Amino acid sequence: MTRLRLDWQDLLFGTFLVAVAAGALYATRTLSVGHAADMGPGYMPRVVSLALFGFGLFFLGRSARGVAVTIEAVRLRPLLAVLAAVGVFALTAERLGLAIASVLTVLLAGLATRETRPLESIGFALLLSALAALLFIKVLALPVPLWPR
Amino acid sequence: MELFDNLLIGLSTALELKNLGFCLIGVLIGTAIGVLPGIGPIPTIALLLPFTFGMEPAGAMIMLAGIFYGAQYGGSTTAILVNVPGETSSVVTCLDGHQMARQGRAGLALAIAALSSFFAGTVATIVIALLSVPLAALALKFTAVEYFSLLVLGLIAAVVLAHGSVARSLSMVLLGLLLGLVGIDVSSGAARMTFGVPALSDGLDFVPVAMGMFGLAEIIANLERPAERHVVSQAVRGLVPSWADLKQAFPAMVRGTALGSALGVLPGGGAALPPFSSYALEKKLAKDPSRFGHGAIEGVAGPEAANNAGAQTSFIPLLTLGIPANALMALMIGALMMQGIQPGPQIMREQPQLVWGVIASMWVGNLMLLVINLPLIGLWVSMLRIPYRLLFPAIVLFCCIGTYGIANSLFNVWLMLGCAAVGYFFIKVGVEPAPLLLGLVLGPQLEEYFRRAMLLADGDFSVFLTRPISAGLLAVVALLLVAMLSPMVVRGRKQALAE
Repeated sequence: MTRLRLDWQDLLFGTFLVAVAAGALYATRTLSVGHAADMGPGYMPRVVSLALFGFGLFFLGRSARGVAVTIEAVRLRPLLAVLAAVGVFALTAERLGLAIASVLTVLLAGLATRETRPLESIGFALLLSALAALLFIKVLALPVPLWPR
Repeated sequence: MELFDNLLIGLSTALELKNLGFCLIGVLIGTAIGVLPGIGPIPTIALLLPFTFGMEPAGAMIMLAGIFYGAQYGGSTTAILVNVPGETSSVVTCLDGHQMARQGRAGLALAIAALSSFFAGTVATIVIALLSVPLAALALKFTAVEYFSLLVLGLIAAVVLAHGSVARSLSMVLLGLLLGLVGIDVSSGAARMTFGVPALSDGLDFVPVAMGMFGLAEIIANLERPAERHVVSQAVRGLVPSWADLKQAFPAMVRGTALGSALGVLPGGGAALPPFSSYALEKKLAKDPSRFGHGAIEGVAGPEAANNAGAQTSFIPLLTLGIPANALMALMIGALMMQGIQPGPQIMREQPQLVWGVIASMWVGNLMLLVINLPLIGLWVSMLRIPYRLLFPAIVLFCCIGTYGIANSLFNVWLMLGCAAVGYFFIKVGVEPAPLLLGLVLGPQLEEYFRRAMLLADGDFSVFLTRPISAGLLAVVALLLVAMLSPMVVRGRKQALAE
């Protein structure tokens, strides 16, 4: 039995493009296209999405050309930790204030690698939080609360 | 002499005390991020954009430009001492620079790198001043038709010179264009792809996109690779090169500067291409090519000059035509727009203080880099000892606060999160995000000019070919596309960009 040799990079990228193009075409389906001399708001989105769709199909086709390209294994730890850190900031910044949000963000981001030392990380988070409060709220007057309201 | 008048106007702006201060801050930040591997100028400038709101346009641009060429400068320090390129542009410097350091000639290598960069910076400043006036005069003849063709040329050229597969880069440009369309359509008032989210009606902010894709995605990918750093620990001595060293390095410096200046002007040029080409050229010209890779001084002088010259001349398309040569220049355009200045050929007449101030500040900044940095080398080396485990959480935090600060909107933070995930996906499937950023920034302009051109020509597409300047520009596009498909160029490009 011959194993199917796939270019996974092309396959995934092609799928991504086709999905995005299809989504864009769907989202702009009600906009009027107009014609070249008097373009409607839907003209450019339609043209660009169709081109993207074409590229997506091209990559999908190319992925089956018989050359195997694998994707480096995804390591979940750094990915999830960094994304979670940003998410926690977005959830807490306006509710709990910058001071607490900063500490949480730095601590969560620190989880991304095994090298992080817990005590050092906590101290560093407090330090950065103080620095951020000083810089962004005192100096740059960013309108974000410092403490929970 | 118009040129001298212009340079004098520029110097009078650049030498204002506060602008000197901004320039100094810029080059210091630039050197710092250049020295630190894993932090590039793109996320840094994106991060600092919100800070430039309250500043005058000239000061803001002077500082941001300083970060850019300062980073090129700092990158070579890391390359020489640690054999890790601080920036992509200094990959080549690793080859001979680090060898020199291992032979105990680290001081000489650093000094030659600094001198070459300064020399190239000086020449490039003059080149910019010389080329800007005629180019801007030419650009004043442009109508919407020519602009559209020019933007197409800019986007295509960026694709040709980018890393990786051409088809992938092209689709990234299109993806960027699509993202650029999000928001309320200016002419009709119709909401496009906003999905009912009010925050999207003004379109996507490019700062969260840039920070997510370039900053955070890079961090995640960096964390997957085990980090190894071996700092050359011996004290750096012998910073003053001898006459013999200078004599050997000077011709390489001149050639590197010429090459870098020419390649930098090309759209999509910039970081990677000039130093690689210069290294190849020096190796070809050398009497004894086998010395290269074992600490040849020309192998440091040429590429360093080329990379600095290229970094600076890549401002020419931006300042004269208003089109960015690379993703970083796209951020600069964003900075100008935030200041309420529409980049384009009219900018030179309307804002001479700004344009010439920025040009003159580049020379001032290069002088600062030379004077300040050689004595500060110990400081930069000690910065290398900051472990990444402390560095990256700080960057994540500052990215969050910075993105929030642009419009005080949490939506932008969520957008950045999404872009980080997508950017990570792009890294995994081997696609460069830079063309996307160019498409995103240029997309709205491209559509606007296209619509206007079509309105003028009554929907007749042939107008792009019947007007001479536009036809010329599109001919170059066609030439580039044909060249990309020819097997010889493909191979050469692979060689030049192979790391």
